[in-house]
Amino acid sequence: MSPDLSQPPERSIYREDGDLADGLRRRDPLAMEVLYERLGRQAFGLAYRILGDGPSAEDVVQEALLTIWRQADRIDATRGRLNSFVMTLVHHKAIDALRVKRGQQARQVSVDFAEVEKVGADFAERVLQSIAGGEVRVALTKLPEEQRRPIELAYYEGLTHLEIAAALDLPLGTVKSRLRLGLEKMRTALRSGTGDELRRS
Amino acid sequence: MNCDEVEDLLGTYALDALPGDLSADVSAHLATCSKHEEAAELRAVAGALAFAAPEAQPSPALKMRLMDAVRAGPAAAVETPRRIGLLGRLKHLVPQRVIPYALAGALAVALIALVITNVGGDSDRPGRATVSLSGENSAGAVVYELEDGIIVVDAAGLKPLDPSQTYQLWGIASGNPSSLGLLGTAPNGETLSVVRGQITDFEFLAVTIEPAGGSIAPTTDPVLEGKA
Repeated sequence: MSPDLSQPPERSIYREDGDLADGLRRRDPLAMEVLYERLGRQAFGLAYRILGDGPSAEDVVQEALLTIWRQADRIDATRGRLNSFVMTLVHHKAIDALRVKRGQQARQVSVDFAEVEKVGADFAERVLQSIAGGEVRVALTKLPEEQRRPIELAYYEGLTHLEIAAALDLPLGTVKSRLRLGLEKMRTALRSGTGDELRRS
Repeated sequence: MNCDEVEDLLGTYALDALPGDLSADVSAHLATCSKHEEAAELRAVAGALAFAAPEAQPSPALKMRLMDAVRAGPAAAVETPRRIGLLGRLKHLVPQRVIPYALAGALAVALIALVITNVGGDSDRPGRATVSLSGENSAGAVVYELEDGIIVVDAAGLKPLDPSQTYQLWGIASGNPSSLGLLGTAPNGETLSVVRGQITDFEFLAVTIEPAGGSIAPTTDPVLEGKA
């Protein structure tokens, strides 16, 4: 990513993810401030999309960032992973809060701080660029309805596969395969940059 | 769980749409089996969905609360947001009349009264007695005594346990530990539990890791402890 010259000099030490993670581990409040400024709107946007109310969404963002702060030494932050990790944590907490609000059973899924993603470097780089370019949004909207809807119910409504099957009146096997096909289709679009090219043409 | 079953569930797993026990089974399989090459990529794509939601501007108060908690230091950082989190969550529960622990009617009334008297933002600590517990790596807990015989434990920064273990709360008087109850496996490193007991009976409180179902006496060193 190109350097942001508009930032005051002291913040520029946190341009790189590895440095930001180091700053968090060193308990430098400036590191958390930079992280919040970088991700706050996206994190709140996701929590708000899931929960539908501002105060609850703010609680989730606060809890997620403070969890990161308290457990900074457990994060392995190579390039780009810190952003993904924050957003994964926000997603988890938002879905848990949503399920409590609805009186549904909590999913009891834990976030594994030590999880090492065995993703190829090229693909990880592509996903990062697509995040910056908004291609993910495009790739999602370009999915056929029958794949997009189950993915949205899973990711933004926090439904389990059984609940999705009930909600859409589909066999469980159909739900499982549509979730997978949808993700594979998005992967292809992100890998080749098709979404962005189609948008520009 | 075998490879075919895992393959069948990969898309669902990537989207976190599996119930916890199934999700844990798939995780455990993937940790030791390298045959499922798509797994990590599908997870990455699903994770990218976080960025497909539109950005939105939170209130300026969010940044203030966050930085206050961060600047206050690790121990306070556990306590301050947890207080808001606890009351926030209780407020969510009350309108739904859903309280996720097996509570007697009297306790439900006490919790509701507590929330009602504390509506209106930052409030003093609820309850009659409060104990702070601390441990390594910024693990901590606040234990509130709401009413005679009812204690709420709000812990964070814990290591999530697998289903064969549980966190257990102890009260210690004259060197003798008494079990105050089980706190569960702390998925996400946190737990909010209600147990029966009285803080005033004890000199210290402690939390240990025990086999699922709990132990008669602590079998491991405390992960959290504090003076009552």
